[in-house]
Amino acid sequence: MCRPYALATFRALVAALFALTAAPVRAQTLPNAPLTALDGKLTVGAEVVATFGEDDDVAFFNYTDYEHNALRMFRAALAASWRPASRIDVVGEVRTEDFGQVRPYAAYIRVRPWGNHAFDVQVGRIPPAFGAFGRRGYQVADNPLVGYPLAYQYLTSLRSDAIPATAADLLVMRARGWRTTYPIGSTEAAPGLPIVTAFRWDTGVQAHWEGHAMDFTGSVTTGTLSDPRVEDNNSGKQLSGRAAFHPIVGLVAGVSAARGDFLSSAVKHQIENPRDSYPQTALGVDAEYSRDHWLVRGEAIWSRWTMPFATEPHGYDLKATGAFIEGRYRLTPRIFVASRLDRLTFSRLQVGPTWAPTWDAPVTRVEVDAGYYLQRNLVARIAVQANDRDGGRVRQRTYVSGQVAFWF
Amino acid sequence: MQMRLLRLAFVVCVLIGLTIAPARTRSNVPDVANGTIRGRVELKQAPPDVARRPNVADVAMARAHDPTDRRRSVVYLETAPRAAFDQRDEPRPKLDQRNEAFVPHVLAIVAGTTVDFPNSDETYHNVFSLSSTKPFDLGRYPAGRSKSIRFDRPGIVRVFCDIHSHMSAFILVFAHRHFAVTDDEGRYRIDNVPPGTYTVVAWNEATPTDSRRVVMPESGGDVETNFSLGRR
Repeated sequence: MCRPYALATFRALVAALFALTAAPVRAQTLPNAPLTALDGKLTVGAEVVATFGEDDDVAFFNYTDYEHNALRMFRAALAASWRPASRIDVVGEVRTEDFGQVRPYAAYIRVRPWGNHAFDVQVGRIPPAFGAFGRRGYQVADNPLVGYPLAYQYLTSLRSDAIPATAADLLVMRARGWRTTYPIGSTEAAPGLPIVTAFRWDTGVQAHWEGHAMDFTGSVTTGTLSDPRVEDNNSGKQLSGRAAFHPIVGLVAGVSAARGDFLSSAVKHQIENPRDSYPQTALGVDAEYSRDHWLVRGEAIWSRWTMPFATEPHGYDLKATGAFIEGRYRLTPRIFVASRLDRLTFSRLQVGPTWAPTWDAPVTRVEVDAGYYLQRNLVARIAVQANDRDGGRVRQRTYVSGQVAFWF
Repeated sequence: MQMRLLRLAFVVCVLIGLTIAPARTRSNVPDVANGTIRGRVELKQAPPDVARRPNVADVAMARAHDPTDRRRSVVYLETAPRAAFDQRDEPRPKLDQRNEAFVPHVLAIVAGTTVDFPNSDETYHNVFSLSSTKPFDLGRYPAGRSKSIRFDRPGIVRVFCDIHSHMSAFILVFAHRHFAVTDDEGRYRIDNVPPGTYTVVAWNEATPTDSRRVVMPESGGDVETNFSLGRR
């Protein structure tokens, strides 16, 4: 397992060093604007991000649902937008992480039915309606920190394709979300689910309306916040939406909600007298305020999974809450500092008269970054991230990582 | 690389102008008429508009923004006569932020000029430059507000908005006053040029610069010099 990561990190480091050393001399030879064709109707942009840090095959604080380390990753993305008619956009993005398989991350058609109304319909693999970071964090230019918020990245011990037989099975997996196993359903070890994944988008239909001081987005999708899907695995749909208010320039506040069936049919069929639906329900609030050289963002997400055990087919309500606040300040035109304070907590599971542990181990994370713009679209960052977990083999871990990101 | 070389050449030329021009023009000042250098700058290929970066995370069709007028060129004397360095009271130029575009896209000023950056849009803008001539960051400010920057050093300042990647502008800062920005048809006019031999340079952001040797006769008058800029 170490070998591919070592190779990837070596390549990422080489790419980063190349970018760093080449930048001052060749700064203006790198593209600084998207490429266009077809009389400006086709626009192509790209993003290359090399993040390098120490290996971590013990604590797994930063692993993603694609089994990559968010603090030790090479990512390349190619995005395109084609406007064949004035009110139609065809949008797509392909990505590769750690030189692995090239995957389509976004692929949808956007239609604006009425030219004089800011109302859009999107169909395909669409951006998430829920929350704010899911869309913003998708592009490196919008994320001032190297790491991801816990609610959007940290893997809990829940899975959509396997369930515990008893509460004890679940508690055994406490703080082992990076690779969990359960006796019902798929018995292979696999990553658990984050509250909301920032690394995959869902498939479905979305509508967005924008007014003077507020806008609304609603989606019907195949998967859920924690397990977005292209192919349906349970015939259940997720409804999600967000209302955003922007009463003054620079301030945006949003409220979000989502509910969808997350458990796969393959697992349901192995439960006696299952419910019709085992949903994930989530509520979120987010806010952003910026002025002068400051940018402050915060978000809180509450999620409840109705999770069956073999011994309790009706299901337990397993809850998790993730909240973070982050800020960025530009010291000079080239230098900025940023920080995020982040907390992820879980509800308690009554497994005995006096014993009610949290069903997964709460985590606290603090990250401090400093960045330097080599040119407008080429930034180098260094990050120190401290993690503290109330469980697991490794409870505390501090990571130092660097990142070079280029986009056009 | 090309931009750096251009910037370096620009600064060197201006500095040479500062040092040698007074000696050259001193003998020309009495009993002679100043003239005008004018002409047209033709672009072999119209530079395309700067497109908005494809943002797959947008949940709505992007708002239309004003196109960037990249056809504007700047024509200037590589070496300038002494009178060109005289201080004059002129209105403060402004680089407006309007409909997600900088207006004008190209601004030419004399060193020591203060430029206003009003925000005329409903959204935030964050004007900044990383250029070595004058790095600055005005931060985010809303509609109706304006901030200003004084440009003391000659050179090229590339201006961006931190929020809207398709917004860009150029400010060319000169040590003298003999320069002109082309109009919609590409025409330019540099007035009050004393007799002498000059190198006239045409600059456009999308092409390599071009230069011509021009002689302004003792009798003054109009001297026409045309340029055709484009990739060689």
